[in-house]
Amino acid sequence: MDSLDFLHANLAAVAVYTPILAGLVLLAGRRLPAGFASGFAFAGFVLPLLLGVWLVAPWPGQKIAYQQLTSSGSPWGFDFGLNGLSAPLFLMTAVVGLAAGIKALVQEVERRNTYLGLLLFMFGGTLGTFGTTSVLGAYFFHEFALIPTFLLTLFWGGAGRRPAAMQMAIYLTVGAMVSLAGLLLVLGAAKTGYTSTWSELLNTIDLRVVPAAAVGLTLFGFGVLASLFPFHSWAAPGYTAAPTPASMLHAGALKKFGLYGIILVTLNTLGGAHGALADWFLAAALANVVLVGLICLAQRDLKELLSWSSVAHMGPIFLGLWVTGVTGRPDGVAAALFLMVAHGLSCAALFLLANGVRARAGTYRLDELGGLAKQAPVLAALFVAATMASIGLPGFGNFWGEIGVFLALRDQSLWLQAAVASTVVISAVYALRAVAATFYGEPTAALQQRLAVAPVADLGWAERVAALLLLGASLLIGFQPGLVTSQTQDYCKDIAKNVAETLPAAAPAPSAR
Amino acid sequence: MSPDFSSLVHWILFLPLGAALFIALFLRRAGAVAAWLSTGVAFALAALALRLLTVGVGDTTWHVELAKLGDISLGFGYLIDANARLMLFVVSFVAAWIHLFSVGYMRDDDARGRFFGGLSIFMFSILGIVVADNLLMTFVFWELVGFSSYMLIAHYFDKDYAAEASKKAFIVNRVGDLGFILGIAFCLAHFGTLNFAELGALKPAAGWPWVLGALLMCGFIGKSAQFPLHVWLTDAMAGPTPVSALIHAATMVAAGVYFMARIAFLLTPDLLQLIAVSGAGMAALAGLCALAQTDIKKSLAYSTLAHLGIMGCAIGLGRPDLAVLHMAMHAFFKATLFLGAGSVIHGCHHEQDMLKMGGLARKMPVTTAAFVAATLSNCAVPFLAGWYSKDAILEAAHASNLYLFTLLGLAAVATCLYSARMVRLVFFGPANSEAADHAHESPWTMTAPLVVLGLGFSVAAGFAADALIPAAALARVAEPLRAMTFHATSAATIVGLVALALGALAFRYYGRAAGVDSLRVDLPRFYGVLEFRWMDTVYGWYVDRVQRRLSEFLAFLDLLLINGVAVRWLGAGVPAVLGYLTGRTLHRGQTRLYALSLVVGTLLLAWYFLAR
Repeated sequence: MDSLDFLHANLAAVAVYTPILAGLVLLAGRRLPAGFASGFAFAGFVLPLLLGVWLVAPWPGQKIAYQQLTSSGSPWGFDFGLNGLSAPLFLMTAVVGLAAGIKALVQEVERRNTYLGLLLFMFGGTLGTFGTTSVLGAYFFHEFALIPTFLLTLFWGGAGRRPAAMQMAIYLTVGAMVSLAGLLLVLGAAKTGYTSTWSELLNTIDLRVVPAAAVGLTLFGFGVLASLFPFHSWAAPGYTAAPTPASMLHAGALKKFGLYGIILVTLNTLGGAHGALADWFLAAALANVVLVGLICLAQRDLKELLSWSSVAHMGPIFLGLWVTGVTGRPDGVAAALFLMVAHGLSCAALFLLANGVRARAGTYRLDELGGLAKQAPVLAALFVAATMASIGLPGFGNFWGEIGVFLALRDQSLWLQAAVASTVVISAVYALRAVAATFYGEPTAALQQRLAVAPVADLGWAERVAALLLLGASLLIGFQPGLVTSQTQDYCKDIAKNVAETLPAAAPAPSAR
Repeated sequence: MSPDFSSLVHWILFLPLGAALFIALFLRRAGAVAAWLSTGVAFALAALALRLLTVGVGDTTWHVELAKLGDISLGFGYLIDANARLMLFVVSFVAAWIHLFSVGYMRDDDARGRFFGGLSIFMFSILGIVVADNLLMTFVFWELVGFSSYMLIAHYFDKDYAAEASKKAFIVNRVGDLGFILGIAFCLAHFGTLNFAELGALKPAAGWPWVLGALLMCGFIGKSAQFPLHVWLTDAMAGPTPVSALIHAATMVAAGVYFMARIAFLLTPDLLQLIAVSGAGMAALAGLCALAQTDIKKSLAYSTLAHLGIMGCAIGLGRPDLAVLHMAMHAFFKATLFLGAGSVIHGCHHEQDMLKMGGLARKMPVTTAAFVAATLSNCAVPFLAGWYSKDAILEAAHASNLYLFTLLGLAAVATCLYSARMVRLVFFGPANSEAADHAHESPWTMTAPLVVLGLGFSVAAGFAADALIPAAALARVAEPLRAMTFHATSAATIVGLVALALGALAFRYYGRAAGVDSLRVDLPRFYGVLEFRWMDTVYGWYVDRVQRRLSEFLAFLDLLLINGVAVRWLGAGVPAVLGYLTGRTLHRGQTRLYALSLVVGTLLLAWYFLAR
């Protein structure tokens, strides 16, 4: 390893530990002056993005370097490194975390230093989840990030935060435990044992010795973490109650660990989810699209709607994974991965901007809102843009992910395709309804009174920067999808190949035509 | 394609996007600058398009792969063929004049920056459809066109009807796009390519499956407002009038026809028949419905529906060349009609009710002249632009199917009736309101486009096509255009002349009483049937009675069964058992204890890893 590679490998570790260290300082120094604390926190929020871009940017001659980089043997405790699958998620986390951090810095909260410290912990943990190459390490960092999530919800959340935080804690802990059981079964069968890295696991595992139960345990364990129907009940109340930066970071980034786990463990090592299990997976994923989509239509509260829709948007991602699992073709997982990145950005932007609505109107209830576009045109424009991103308007990253999943399903029955693609109509209905109810028309009488007493200003510059960061990143991958796919392509092909090898020898795939 | 050629298309496509971006970032409060920037770009586009039409002949293509998702290639490229050249000319030329018109029309609007930014986004989107070389790229810009339409319909967002209309337009279009997506997936699954040229070269042994054409046609039905997805177009008139002229009359709704013409080879005979019947039926019905609208823009919107039906019928008759010819001619005269309506609305201080207008001919002479000229073209008076395409389609229908011919004949009659009514109510007779009494002619920015499009193209685009339209753009339609001659004895001509005579009668009929609609007085029930919005009522019933109840029921079930029974039972049951087993020592509902055990557990795990 030459010195440059050594530097880069350690940069990934630095990116993970910087927010955690900054968080420690803030937790320890509860009486630190606000300005000092803000500076410290900001450094913790911004540094990972700078380092992440530096690591992944296609500098001349360095394209491959980061893909193998690892800090093996370094004093960091875990192996760190990025590969084609984790690099886009790592960068997305860094963007979402910075936006969430900016939002948190301008919020007025009690015990601010502790609040910021916990958020930094959560951020660092999420980065570590995708930044470590160790299998159990990723699990550890996920748990590490969950604890501050619960605490933030419990102590800084909105209405109904106690039951929501408890429900979330129980669900996610149970989901994590179930997936851990599956993971340990897999790792126990691996030649490299419990300390395997992802690549060791993928390259050396002997599929014949993996217990069958591991498929179900990892699929549904990770499914709980990613709000697979019918294990989604924690998500909507949890995100609704959690403070906005925590909702952004969890719904945008941390939740993706469940999907990451399904890709790397359930699909890759176990050769997809076969037989009856695959059918259950399909049914559950379809329910995410159709049933949860319809449930979104019934929501009357902006933040509840966003929370529910973030559950519904998991549907196409699951289906992309499912189709790779049953066909052994790379399209599905590639599209799903793209959608994971894009959804993280758009979903965080929506939570951020919805909080901007509440800050002005004092409520999230749709029937009490209206006409805000007059008072806050920039907020309205950004909210419309984020909404359009989330319902898959071309130009934003979500489009390539969604259309990619639809196209990956092209050999399935037309009815299945139609059911999945119905999301383009359902999501447009609920999302545009919310936009119209919030920003268009005249303000309701109650809101008019409130506005007369306290006229509102447009979105502040800090939140503008945060929203533009998220939407800008989404536009970037929307216009240049190659930025993501050039990294993920080879890995998706490898995974598909691993799946295909375990599939029962069927008629040649239709793509051979 | 030479690099020169592709870079020219790059400029045409991305110049308006750049303008929109610049306006959004820097000119939000500088409305006048935004207006002239956007208009300048529109004229520059027209010039670039003319330049493009002089270089290159035949089908020229350029293609890059943006990315690969698994096996799926995300392609971006240009296919400039005869259809594209005509559409390129029509879109860029008509749009430039409508931009200029908007400068005057929107002069007093506070949100001009947003408006012109939206127009530029729209130009980017529609030009993308024109030059796209594959289905996926067409779909990308198809969606963007839908977005710009949404944004511009919602321009007056503080009005509830505009908010409703924008939402409706977007959602109804997406219903059509659902089919489009499935069609793209079907095409990729069965033929392995989405590229128009590659598809065109394929000759499947078993013929093209009808499903493919049918699914792709869904997109056309949504975007071109064909039955049963036509309901959004009349509501879309909530947008500013130049938007109605550009998007909801001349270009965007015609993009569906253009798309059908491009993939005409995929359509099977059964499907063609369906399109022909549905198009002709809609042409006749929508024409009659235009008689029962008092809002000048809504009446024109029904007229647009009728003409889109005629174009659909031409596609169905297997004559896509006639469909695109009519698309071009319709763009000229319908844009004029909408701009004329805009000028009238502007002159009458935002009055849109035709019954409250009247006597504007003397006060607004230029507007009147252009509007009347475009109306005559709309009514297919021989040798005017509209006659060349409409009469040719009638002729083609006569040659193929008497039933279709009858429907189109009815549509021709209806056209003359509503046109006569409109001109009579708006421009002649006494002024029926204060606003109409004080009407004034519009500024030059608004009258100049009216003169060019109305007195120029609506009149002469047929007989003087060679002088007005670049030869390259005419290649696709030159043959039917030259073949048009006046035969007093041909069936289409006879029907056309009878329709004109009925129109003259209608002109007298509507002149009998001022301030009221004569038909409504004489035949209130018939008027009511035409005015009633049948499909809207059906959809309204579905949304309120089916969809809403279903979604609320599901939300309730989720709460009751999953969240309530399953989770509470598990949530209460498992801890109860565990609690019993652990002697009720661990589970006391103390949140801090739980948090503490989580922390301790994590630290233990961390220690395990660090110490190994």
